[in-house]
Amino acid sequence: MAQSLEEDYIYSDDDDDDDADPNDYYGDECMEEDQEPVDEREPDPEHFDFKCLTVSEAKNFLDKQVQETCGKLKVDKRSAQVLLMAHGWIFSELEKRTEQDISNLLIEKGVRARNIPQVRKGGYVSSCSVCLQRKQPSDLKGLLCSHSFCKECWSKHFETLINNGIATDLQCMASDCHIGAPEEFVLSFLEEDSHRQKYQKFVFRDYIKSHYNLRFCPGADCSIVAYSEKPQSKRVDCIQCKTSFCFNCCGAYHAPTDCETVKKWLMKCADDSETANYISANTKDCPKCHACIEKNGGCNHMQCSRCKYDFCWVCMGDWKSHGTEYYECSRYKENPNIVNENAQVKAREALKKYLFYHGRWENHAKSLQLEAVTLANINKRIQEKVMKNEGTWIDWQYLLNAASLLAKCRYSLQYTYPYAYYLESGARKRLFEYQQAQLEAEIENLSWKIERAEKYQRGDLENQMAVAEKRRQTLFKDFFPT
Amino acid sequence: MAATRRLTKEMTEIRKSAMTCFQIEEIDSNILLWKGLIIPDSEPYNKGAFKIEMTFPAEYPFKPPKITFKTKIYHPNIDEKGQVCLPIIQPENWKPATKADQVIQALVALVQNPEPEHPLRGDLAEEYIKDVKRFNKNAEEYTKKYGEKRPAL
Repeated sequence: MAQSLEEDYIYSDDDDDDDADPNDYYGDECMEEDQEPVDEREPDPEHFDFKCLTVSEAKNFLDKQVQETCGKLKVDKRSAQVLLMAHGWIFSELEKRTEQDISNLLIEKGVRARNIPQVRKGGYVSSCSVCLQRKQPSDLKGLLCSHSFCKECWSKHFETLINNGIATDLQCMASDCHIGAPEEFVLSFLEEDSHRQKYQKFVFRDYIKSHYNLRFCPGADCSIVAYSEKPQSKRVDCIQCKTSFCFNCCGAYHAPTDCETVKKWLMKCADDSETANYISANTKDCPKCHACIEKNGGCNHMQCSRCKYDFCWVCMGDWKSHGTEYYECSRYKENPNIVNENAQVKAREALKKYLFYHGRWENHAKSLQLEAVTLANINKRIQEKVMKNEGTWIDWQYLLNAASLLAKCRYSLQYTYPYAYYLESGARKRLFEYQQAQLEAEIENLSWKIERAEKYQRGDLENQMAVAEKRRQTLFKDFFPT
Repeated sequence: MAATRRLTKEMTEIRKSAMTCFQIEEIDSNILLWKGLIIPDSEPYNKGAFKIEMTFPAEYPFKPPKITFKTKIYHPNIDEKGQVCLPIIQPENWKPATKADQVIQALVALVQNPEPEHPLRGDLAEEYIKDVKRFNKNAEEYTKKYGEKRPAL
């Protein structure tokens, strides 16, 4: 658990077990003896080191990086910011580029001008080429590229772009000029406080978004910035809003499925879960061009709207053969159109597979919601028992622990379904599905026992908790990369 | 209004300048809408002319104008709805100091030299790359059929 940042950053550990975080009081020397059994334990695949930073802590962190870069590369603050941003704030990456040629890099990024600007001599009346109005030369301001414009145009230009969310990318107004506008320059033209605040907020956002080690907490209205030395697709629990998210993709935590798969899955769900049912129940594919056709009338004589093929809805055969003897098609034919049939069967099979996994995914999501209600009930029951002098509040804590463990297990179980959906058939999938089934069985047992907690001994329930968590860990150890 | 002032000046300058490939048509009271005629002078579009509309936003010149073709054209970078993909007026590339005549020049250049690398119509781009002779023949026929009459010089 290396901590390279300042001590006063709030440290948060990924596993929310009972064991307290080692703090300085316990020191290294007394840990050594106690640590023995812990060391033998296999590494927890969900373990992830991260820190939650407040906005000002994150700003300090960025400032420190900028200052260090200034010192190491002997450049000014603005250059350091632009260069770091262009390289994900990874100094080693930046160093690789600057070893060759720093001044060309600075020109490329619009920090320095390629040619030494020719300064126009003042003294005569000139005009701003944006508003085409005559201005005193002293009223025309420009960046180091020597393109000058009036104050009003600069303000309007910056305000327009800032309102579109552009901040670190603000440039000179001249055609084909890519010289960037430094923060102080932009701020000198922004008069309203609301614009200044917006601009500074967006600059900060651009810095964080481009940073390899930092992520905004995706929680609603949450300002926390998560930091990790080694970014991975692992869980971050925000210390402020309690949102759990994946550090890599900032989506909802999705172990054991990886970011790409879960994204594919969620997109698929958004695409077809609503319509999939209807399609499977009400449509067939055209036997000729395989367009999906919905039957919206009683007549079984169909014409495909795409290829104009006439066919029979019942037997999917050519309508020509029907003519006068319609009921021919009710006769069982030994050799149906096997090729077309196959394509249709395949499509149905794919849909069936999706609906199978999606159904379970949905079901566990709903169970999670219902179990949140159970948790509320448990709290109420504990209150009642304590009021009736049936044990103290502490005596009943195990019930709450059980409910939170249940939620954690069920959440993981829900996210095993996208994983299984995209897993190729074979021994590995069989093993996965076996472990998944084991986990599911134990979770249902646990849920059953929690709902009927009065009928079960505390030991029984705690035993069930241990079994369920063990199953979860086994599955993660095998299928969730450390 | 800043947009009106600048557009009036730009319009006067364009009328004074001798642009051979472009004419501004009569405009009504709305200075934010320019109607013009592109008169290409090279193959395969030199058998006709093309009506365009330039719409300027109220925030002009801080936001770019939009261009639409009102005449059908057989061109990889202009789609059936008349939309054009012209980099200099894309919001991310737009510069307030860019003048309307620069935009028009860029547009005329694009019409005469299609850029099949980033097409709006993939089928035409493919034809342009694989068989430019056939493309030119088709474009010429299309221009004769749908193009506007070229004004007498």
